[in-house]
Amino acid sequence: MEAPAHANGIEYPQLAAIFEDVFQHTGALTRSTSADDVARWDSLQHIALVRSLEEAFGIQLSMDEMMEIRSVGDIENVLRRHGA
Amino acid sequence: MTSAHLQPQARRDDEVEAFGASDGLPALSPGRLVDAVIAAAPECLQQGILLQGIDWARVPPGRVNAMLGDLGSRNVRLPGWLARALVVGGHVLPADAAGRLSAELQALNQLNGCSGSADERRMLASVHRRLCLLEERDADVLAAAVARLHALGWAEEEAELGLVCWDAAPRVLTSAAAALTAHRLTLPAARIRLAGFSTTHTLAQDLGPAFAACGWQAQVGEAGFGDGLAELLAPAGDADCLVLLMDIEGFAARDWRRLPDEGLELVRERADLLAAALAAYPERAQCPLLINTIPSAPAPTAGLLDRQHALGLRRAIDIVNQRVLEAAARSGQVHVCDADLALAHVPLARQTDPKMWFYGRLAYSAAATRALARSFAQAWQTLKRGPLKVLALDFDNTLWGGIYGDDGLEALACGTDFPGNAFSAFQQECLRLKGQGMLLAGLSKNDPDAISVFERHPGMVLRAEDFTAVAIDWEPKPGNIRRLAAELDLGLESFLFLDDSPHEREAMRQMCPAVTVPEMPADPALRPLWIRGLTATWPLRLTDEDGRRADMYRAERAARSLKEGAASLADYLAALQQRLVVEPVRRETVPRAAQMHQRTNQFNLTTVRLGEAELGAMLDERSGSLALIGRVTDRFGDHGIVIAATARIDGDAAEIATFLMSCRVIGREIETAFLGALLVELEKRGVRRVMGAYVPTPKNGQVRELYPSAGFRQASADAERTIWNWTIGEAEPPRSAFVTVEWGS
Repeated sequence: MEAPAHANGIEYPQLAAIFEDVFQHTGALTRSTSADDVARWDSLQHIALVRSLEEAFGIQLSMDEMMEIRSVGDIENVLRRHGA
Repeated sequence: MTSAHLQPQARRDDEVEAFGASDGLPALSPGRLVDAVIAAAPECLQQGILLQGIDWARVPPGRVNAMLGDLGSRNVRLPGWLARALVVGGHVLPADAAGRLSAELQALNQLNGCSGSADERRMLASVHRRLCLLEERDADVLAAAVARLHALGWAEEEAELGLVCWDAAPRVLTSAAAALTAHRLTLPAARIRLAGFSTTHTLAQDLGPAFAACGWQAQVGEAGFGDGLAELLAPAGDADCLVLLMDIEGFAARDWRRLPDEGLELVRERADLLAAALAAYPERAQCPLLINTIPSAPAPTAGLLDRQHALGLRRAIDIVNQRVLEAAARSGQVHVCDADLALAHVPLARQTDPKMWFYGRLAYSAAATRALARSFAQAWQTLKRGPLKVLALDFDNTLWGGIYGDDGLEALACGTDFPGNAFSAFQQECLRLKGQGMLLAGLSKNDPDAISVFERHPGMVLRAEDFTAVAIDWEPKPGNIRRLAAELDLGLESFLFLDDSPHEREAMRQMCPAVTVPEMPADPALRPLWIRGLTATWPLRLTDEDGRRADMYRAERAARSLKEGAASLADYLAALQQRLVVEPVRRETVPRAAQMHQRTNQFNLTTVRLGEAELGAMLDERSGSLALIGRVTDRFGDHGIVIAATARIDGDAAEIATFLMSCRVIGREIETAFLGALLVELEKRGVRRVMGAYVPTPKNGQVRELYPSAGFRQASADAERTIWNWTIGEAEPPRSAFVTVEWGS
C-alpha cells in the first residue's frame, strides 16, 4: 500500500486534531514539532496526550514509549511500531 | 478504533468531489481498489469474506446504494455487521433493511437521512429521547449520532446525547465541546472540593461531564496533592460537597521487609487515622462528603489466601473499606460510592494504568476514572433529589404475564413456576421499594375488578392493600397519573412509571414530561435486576418513617373517608383524637428533620432547605438556635414526625427561620398547636419578640395566612416576603381544641 502524500510529511493527519484537543495547538505540525514548540506540552498534559493517543488508535503504550515521545516524529515512530 | 477524530456524516451524491477533503484524508476515488472490492461485495458476502476494512464514511452514498441494489438483485442478505458499519459511516439504509436494525441503529439511520428542518427536529424528538434512554449502549453508534446531530446544528440534542455516552465514547467531549459547554452553563452550579491520596487532576476534569449528565454544573476546586486527611480535618468552607478519592496505594502500600502482622498493623493504623478523620468531619464541615471504597486489586499479594491472610492485599483493602463504611453508618454526612459497582463495566486489568501510576501517581486508568466520576455524580444527584416517591405500575405483562381481560385469571403467569417466577420476582422488588418508602400506585387499562387479581390469584406477591392509590379504567394513563398525583398531594416529578408497552411509555413522556419513564427491558427475566439498578429508586438514607410511609398514607386516607362521613369539620377533628408530641431535634432525628426540609414544598413558610449539617449544628444550645419537631398520632395510626421548625435566638428576639409540615396532616390544626408550642418554648428561653416570614413560592400559597390567623401582626410586606411579629405576653399563644400537645424528652 502506498503511503499517502501529505503536507509537512505527516503520516497520521489525525494528530492535528489531537494536538488541538490536548494542547489547543493550531499551528503547523511537522515531524520535528516538539515539546519545545508547543506551549502547553508540559508533564501534566503529556498524560493527556498519551491517553488521547491510546484511545484514538486503540493501543497501549509502555513506560519507555511514554518517555520516548518528545516530538511528532517520535509519536509517528511509536504508532507505526504498533501497526496503527 | 482508528478514526477517532473523523466524524462521519451523511453525504449526498453531489458532494462526491469534496469527499474526505475536510479531515485531511484522501477521498476513496471510484474505480480504484476499494471500488473493485465494493463491486465484488455480493461474492465477498457469499464466500464469507469480510468488508470491515473499508471506512464507509469515505465512500460516496451513490456507491453504497449501488452495492445495496446489487445485493438485492442477487438475493444476498445484508448481514447485520455490514448494516451497522454502513449506518455508523453515515449512510441511510432503505426501510426494509432498516427494520432489522437495533433500536439505536434505527435512530441513527433516521438521523442520517434527515436534512435538519425544524419539522424533522420535532418529529425526531421522541427518537432522540429513546436514544438517550437506551440501556444497552453501542458507543460507536452513539458517537456517530452525536456527530450527526452536530452536523445538523441541533446543539441541545447533541449535548444531551453526548452526556449519555461521554464515558463510553470520550471523543464526544471534544467533538461536541461547544454544545456541551453551552449546555453546562444552563445548569445549576455545584461547588465541589476534590481531595485524595493520589493525583486527582484527571478526575477533576471528568467530574465536569459526569455532573452535567446528572443536571449539574460542576465547579471543581482541588486540594493539594495527597491532602485527603488534611481536607477532612480542616474542610474548605465554600464547597457544596467534598469528593474524596480513595485508592489502594494510599493505604495498603507495603514494605515486604516487615513481618506480615507488623505490615498489616501499619495498614490498620492508617485506616484508624482515616476513621478518626471521617468521624471528625461531620462536626467540622458544612457539606456532605462523597467517598469511594477501594476497588478489588488487579492482582493478589497472597494468592488464594489474599482475603484471609495478613499478607493479603484484599484483606488490607477490606480493613480500610470497613472503616469507611462504619463512618458512613454513623453520620448522615458521609456517603459511600461502592467502587466495585462503579467499575463493574471496566475489566479489572484495565482499571489501573501502571505506567501512569509510576509517571504521575494516577491511581486509576482513564476508563476507571470516568466510571468513578459518574458514580460520584450519581451519588450527588441522589443526595440532592432523593429517591422518587411513587412507583406507578402497569398490571398486564408488567406485574404478571398475560392480559387479564383477554386471558382470564387462571392464565395469568405469576408464581413459583417458570415463567411466572420472573413476574413474582419483579413483584418482590416492588415490595422492597415499598419497604424503602416508595408508594405503590396501580395504573392499568382494565376493568376496575382487575385489582381483585391480587387476592384471587394464588401466585401474586403483592396484595391490593400494598397499593396506596389505583387508577384502573380505560382512560389514558397520562390523565390518570395526574389524578393520582392530585389524590396523593404529590407533584408529577415524584412519579416513576413502569410499563411494558413502548406506546404507553411514549405517551406518558409526551403528555407528562415531569414523570420519570425509563425504558423497561422487553424480556421479563431481565426486569428484577434491572429495577435494582434504577438510580431513581436508590435510597440515600433510610429513616424509620420510610418503611411506614405507605401505612401512614393509608391511615390518612381512612381519616379522609371519616371526614366525608362526619357531620362537620369539628366533629371530624374531634373524632380523630389527635396527639402532638413536640420535642427538640436530637441526633437520631436529624436525618428525618433534614429529609423534611428537603422534601416539603407546599406547607413550607420559607422553603429554606436546611441539611443534616446545619440541623446538626443547632443541637448545641450555645449555637443560639432552636430546632423542634412534632410527632402526630391519631385513632387511625402513627404519622411519625410530620412537622418541624427552627428559630434563631438573639437575646430577647427570635426569628422563625423555617416552619414546615408534611401534607399528610394538612387541615387538622396541627400547625396551630405546633406554632403555639414553639412560642411557649421560645418564651422559656427568654425571648420576648418573635419574627416570622412568609416567602411565597409557586407551591406554598396555602400557608400565606398561617401567621395572621394565629394572631401575628404584619410588620412589612413586599413581593419577596411578608414579615410578621409576635410579642410574648400580649396574647395567649395559639392553641387547637382538637390537638393534645405533649412535650417529649
